[in-house]
Amino acid sequence: MKSKVHFTRCHICEAVNYDNGEVHNCRRCHSPIHHDLTISYHKTLAFLITAIILYVPANLYPILISKQFGITSESTIMGGIMHLWEAGSYPIALIILVASVFVPLLKFIFIIYLLLATKYNLSSSRVDKHKLFYITEAIGPWSMVDVFVVIILSVLIHFSGIQVVPGAGATAFALMVFFTMISALSFDTRLISEKKHTSLEGKH
Amino acid sequence: MITEAELNNLIICKKCHTLHKRVPLRGKKKALCSQCDVLLYQKHPNLINKTLALVITAAISLFLAFYFTIISINIQGLEKELDFYALFLVLLEHHQYVVGIIFIFLIFIFPLTIIGSMLILLMLMKRKKNPYLVKRLLILLAHIRPWSMVDIFFISLLVAMVKLFDYAAIELGVAFVAFVFTLILDIIITKNISFDALWRKYQEIYGRVDEE
Repeated sequence: MKSKVHFTRCHICEAVNYDNGEVHNCRRCHSPIHHDLTISYHKTLAFLITAIILYVPANLYPILISKQFGITSESTIMGGIMHLWEAGSYPIALIILVASVFVPLLKFIFIIYLLLATKYNLSSSRVDKHKLFYITEAIGPWSMVDVFVVIILSVLIHFSGIQVVPGAGATAFALMVFFTMISALSFDTRLISEKKHTSLEGKH
Repeated sequence: MITEAELNNLIICKKCHTLHKRVPLRGKKKALCSQCDVLLYQKHPNLINKTLALVITAAISLFLAFYFTIISINIQGLEKELDFYALFLVLLEHHQYVVGIIFIFLIFIFPLTIIGSMLILLMLMKRKKNPYLVKRLLILLAHIRPWSMVDIFFISLLVAMVKLFDYAAIELGVAFVAFVFTLILDIIITKNISFDALWRKYQEIYGRVDEE
């Protein structure tokens, strides 16, 4: 018998559960609480890789195509930010830069760090890692700003002479945000705290 | 071994996952996490009635936001209106199906589902009926809450307006005001009620029914 008692927080109803090291259901909402955290680990990793792959076309393909009397001009995310910066709208350029470049990159780095820390049992503060994951979840959806802006512009600038059309980059970007969010959601916070799951390597 | 009642008396901080023991609170005092000062719990007198009132108001303003014109622009005599119908139509017209589906779910279906299921579950809880449906709805809410992006849509709207400011005259519509109201109500609802409190209320109301 283990002398130490483990507690876990149900990710659905937030109830405190007794973690007996087996598959069981939450005592309040009966959602399953899995014992095998390797599934969570690999799901997070798989979705993260998908998101990173999608990040490439999201940045290379144009997110916005504008047609002015037959002349088509395309702009990527970075191109759009540069354009805004040159035009002097610094606050908007900064918002887009943070929301669509920094936030996804930060999310990638945070999740990679958390996964590595779990796998190699890095001795960093447990509380800090929980806070890091909390931030990762909170900032995630904000990268959608750029896609929404393009959609709104494409509705408003929709005349016979001048048109704004969302490009292929917008699709890739929206999917990228979707997969980073799923990746963060499939990360089980118990991966951070539990010592007994440091045997992850052996289970592969 | 730890009993159910003792487990109920524990709470784990959502931010840093530190385990805390609940202590009785007096009056309007709030319990904060000892590590990171995040709100753990507070007293909720009249939880269901208060939330129900807020949710009904939010439902009305969400309906107005979806139904009326959000903003209209005027570029040298050319006018264009932005509302949800136009949003879906233009996305279809440009053959942006993937973005369109993601957009419809994040901005339209999920917020509506959240408000709708909150309405139903609060009314059922008020009348102490149908514990099974209430539980299903509470679980559904936990799943889709991270996916509602009305607030982000609103910020995007402001960004788009600033971008258009130099070229076009912008006029705010009824739905714009309704959006502001929806967001304020959303903040009040998420600030004032915690889902843990709703689950506790659920246990309190249906506790005996569940055991049978």
